[in-house]
Amino acid sequence: MLKGYRKYFFNKLGWFLVTLVFAFILNFILPRLMPGDPVAAIVARMAQGMSDATGVRAIYQQYTELFGTNKPMVEQFFIYMRNVLRGDFGYSISMYPRTVADAIKSSIGWTIALQFPAIITGWLIGNTLGALAAYLKKGFDKVLMPISIFASNFPAFGMAVILMVIFGVTLEWFPTSGGYGFDLIPRFDWRFIWSVITHYQLPFWSIVLVSIGGQAIGMRSMAIYELNADYVKYARFMGIKDRKIIGYVFRNAMLPQITGLAMALGTMAGGALVAEIVFSYPGIGYTLLNGVMGQDYPLISASTLMITIMVLIANFTIEILYGFIDPRIKAVQAD
Amino acid sequence: MKHTLQQVFRSGKFIFGFSILVAILLIVIIYPLVIPDPPLAIIAQGTFFEPGIYVNVYDSIIAPKYTLNLEGAAAKRIASRLNSDDRLAMKEWLVAVGIPEDEIDIEDTALLLELWETHFDPKTQIAGMTNARRNYYIRLNASLEGLLATEAAIIAVKNPTTGALEEKSVVAQSDFVNANKVANVRLLPLGTDNFGRDVLTELIAAARVSLQIGFVAGIIATSIGLTLGLLAGYIGGIVDDIIMFFTNLFTVIPGLVLLILISFSIGQERRGATTIAIVIGLTSWYWTTRAVRAQVISLRNRDHVNLSKLSGHSIVHIILNDILPYIASYVVMAMILQISSAILAEAGLSILGLGPRTTEVPTLGLMMNWAMIYYAHTLGKWWAYIPVLVTIALITFSMNLMNTGLDQVFNPALRD
Amino acid sequence: MGKVLLEVRELTTRYITRFGESVYAVDHVSLKVEEGKSLGIAGESGCGKSTLALSLMGYYFAPLHYMSGEIIVDGHNISGMNPDDVRKAILGKEIAYIPQAAMNALNPTQKIIHFVEDVIRAHDPSADKKAIYERACKLFETVGLPPQVLEKYPVELSGGMKQRTVIAVSVLLSPKVLIADEPSSALDVTSQKMVIKMIRQLLHDGLVGSLIFITHELPLLYNVTDDIMVMYAGQIVEKGAAREAVFDPLHPYSKGLMGSIIVPEEGLREVKLTAIPGVPPNLKNPPSGCRFAERCKYVQPECIVNAVGLRSTEGGRVYRCIFSEKELREAYRNG
Repeated sequence: MLKGYRKYFFNKLGWFLVTLVFAFILNFILPRLMPGDPVAAIVARMAQGMSDATGVRAIYQQYTELFGTNKPMVEQFFIYMRNVLRGDFGYSISMYPRTVADAIKSSIGWTIALQFPAIITGWLIGNTLGALAAYLKKGFDKVLMPISIFASNFPAFGMAVILMVIFGVTLEWFPTSGGYGFDLIPRFDWRFIWSVITHYQLPFWSIVLVSIGGQAIGMRSMAIYELNADYVKYARFMGIKDRKIIGYVFRNAMLPQITGLAMALGTMAGGALVAEIVFSYPGIGYTLLNGVMGQDYPLISASTLMITIMVLIANFTIEILYGFIDPRIKAVQAD
Repeated sequence: MKHTLQQVFRSGKFIFGFSILVAILLIVIIYPLVIPDPPLAIIAQGTFFEPGIYVNVYDSIIAPKYTLNLEGAAAKRIASRLNSDDRLAMKEWLVAVGIPEDEIDIEDTALLLELWETHFDPKTQIAGMTNARRNYYIRLNASLEGLLATEAAIIAVKNPTTGALEEKSVVAQSDFVNANKVANVRLLPLGTDNFGRDVLTELIAAARVSLQIGFVAGIIATSIGLTLGLLAGYIGGIVDDIIMFFTNLFTVIPGLVLLILISFSIGQERRGATTIAIVIGLTSWYWTTRAVRAQVISLRNRDHVNLSKLSGHSIVHIILNDILPYIASYVVMAMILQISSAILAEAGLSILGLGPRTTEVPTLGLMMNWAMIYYAHTLGKWWAYIPVLVTIALITFSMNLMNTGLDQVFNPALRD
Repeated sequence: MGKVLLEVRELTTRYITRFGESVYAVDHVSLKVEEGKSLGIAGESGCGKSTLALSLMGYYFAPLHYMSGEIIVDGHNISGMNPDDVRKAILGKEIAYIPQAAMNALNPTQKIIHFVEDVIRAHDPSADKKAIYERACKLFETVGLPPQVLEKYPVELSGGMKQRTVIAVSVLLSPKVLIADEPSSALDVTSQKMVIKMIRQLLHDGLVGSLIFITHELPLLYNVTDDIMVMYAGQIVEKGAAREAVFDPLHPYSKGLMGSIIVPEEGLREVKLTAIPGVPPNLKNPPSGCRFAERCKYVQPECIVNAVGLRSTEGGRVYRCIFSEKELREAYRNG
């Protein structure tokens, strides 16, 4: 058994590393494969209204030098890698002379603290509702299903905007933007913590609400499938109580939902980024938006890389935990 | 085939979703034929005009007048001039000068004005009142002057030679014009947006473009996904390994990240609606590949496929005749999902400012982006974003409802 | 005459479809099983034999509904009993069931021993863990499984092992009646024989009180059970000792069933292969006359109009036909 698990673990670890390398390369190469010169685009924007051709060329020169776009691709890749490994990701354009690492360092913490609890809460609530819908059927199912379908197709930013308008603007229960009060300095006192908690609510619940629908639908289908499985019938005919059988069913229906979560993380993270943007939450999504607004190429590149790495790590963690929970994994690997 | 269609059209969920989608498509097609205004024409000077019927004032003056004696017209007129903040301020003053609070009813306009006229005196000094506040009251009082008057208003024009004002017409309080007789009346059912464009016309054009993006992206994603899924599932072996490697890769790397990187690199100038659609299609095929591959693997060793292999048919023949018909329903379902998620993806990109370039066509995402940039949501300009959200939700909801319906037809276990 | 462990009198049950139509799948069926004896039930798929098995257990699940008749298990009338009480008092303990699809009858994420514990505790909540383990070991040994199997998950077992596990679990509580519903249909010929041998051994050893064996292969039953009952369209068409029913069928349908299968059994080689043409009637709207009339070679005009009752021969055989024993034999001789 242990041998089976070890095999599974190393398999997943290998896959994680390969994906990481590919994601890294894609992140580097995609923008450079595109027709057009990102530096030219930036310079064109910066030089708007500038009539002096030499001045424009000087800016262009300076930026080409700074980002190394005049060097061969391979060399650029090594420069990029060196910057990443050194941990500063090079210079930011919109916040020059700050480094990119400096700009995104704080936002990672905000994003992790917001997105992971929110996605997990949404997953738990969604699965519970889906399981109840499959088990109770009738009225509950009839009401829950259309709502779930509607909610799961409601755009993430739409949910965020509506929560903001209702609870932020109209009812004024919660603040509508930022991670804490703009008049506060981050430090460890009650006023600051309370401010963080109230600012947390709207982005958190908008991510939760968006994730619930899809999870509920998935769980309902899985649970219905499991409820009709042969082992359920057999357990009934052996006189086992429904409460116990429901336990079997939901455990078994839950397992594919865990891998489902791992697969859907990429999509969910996208929705969660949008929530950050709507609420100007100081996470990576908002940093990314600033990067786009400021045509800050290195910042965008680093933000997307960080998002990808976070998703990959989360994905890897889920797969590893899953191997512990589902006995079938170990058994199959051991063969 | 005919039987399947019959079954599909017996599913309530499918019909409901299908009807919504068809209604949207019809509106999108018919509206521009009836109202051929360019969707991005700026008609309003100023931002966020409220929804309503806009009647040209100049034309109303010269339009034929009708006298209608309507009860409560005066009260309505006054009420419309006095907003709730003003009423509260008036009460505050009255309380300050010693009127008992329970005698003041801010909802009763006539009583409130009467109290105000008898008790307001700009010279009264109220303890703790700032100068700015006093000036506000003086302005308020001035605007209320004559509110209870019943005289007519006079329209005068300047005589071009003497420069003196000459009476042109008199507008009595009971004068009405028939809106049909006014030369210029514009209905703006959803008001105007931040640039002063008609939101409804813009919204319908945007829905059309978004649907087009959805269909193009959906078709691209489905074609790639279907081809790769068929190859991986049917040929298997190393081909399967390679295709699945990339499929898994794309599954874990967030799609939005790829979209952002590519869209940004293309640059604002070259990002047309079609380009965005192609980019979305190219980054979302992997779900379909996965689904198709699983289906093909379960079909690969069925008797009829083996029979076809033994009869010496080519791979193309087998795929077209013995595999495709069996997975057609899944492919249709996957395509519907691709279309609806492409519409959402475009919206997500546009929110980030990476949507199609803004000068040509509106999309649902761009409209949302504009509304957000101009703080429509915090300013309470609901007409600039709620209709957009509702349209997106209706489109994706109808498609997913169709899908749920199809799923129940093809997977009987899911039926209620 | 031994003690009667199961007696069924005029049992009628029906399915109610989504559209409210009734399907009478078991129509006035009576049978009796004595201690130490076995009864085979044969018929084409859809003849109601599996429904009869479910109905016998007195455990009705929508869309299956009890209509009329009596089920007496070891002297206790369980017809019309509350399904939850039936499950607690009867299922697994008095009547046990080996399902058709034994491959999927076990919960994939539960160790066998835990399922064994659940089964025993469902009827005896205070059962001691060690006693359960010993009991299970003994039974697993009887079916030829080592005790280590108890610590495994179903995925780690082969098909044959799963089959034996299900058999062992079914007889954990020494049921008075064991119903085996085509337990061998998914297996190869060798495994089939072994399963049948095993079940007969359980009966022989007194681990089960009596046996009901259901199959669509009438000839198979000759080796397995003492008595045979042939069903067609929800009704009994023939009942008698196994030898007679197989080698000397009276009802034209039994005759046809014997001819529809090639079985390389001793003494059966000469039986001609003659599949019965046609399909069974739709039970939503059964014909008013003999249900087999449409497919019967010897059909008479009155067969189509009038319902045909069961008749008994002097030798104690029962069959449903308008012809007498003598007339039938005459007809068969002439082909």
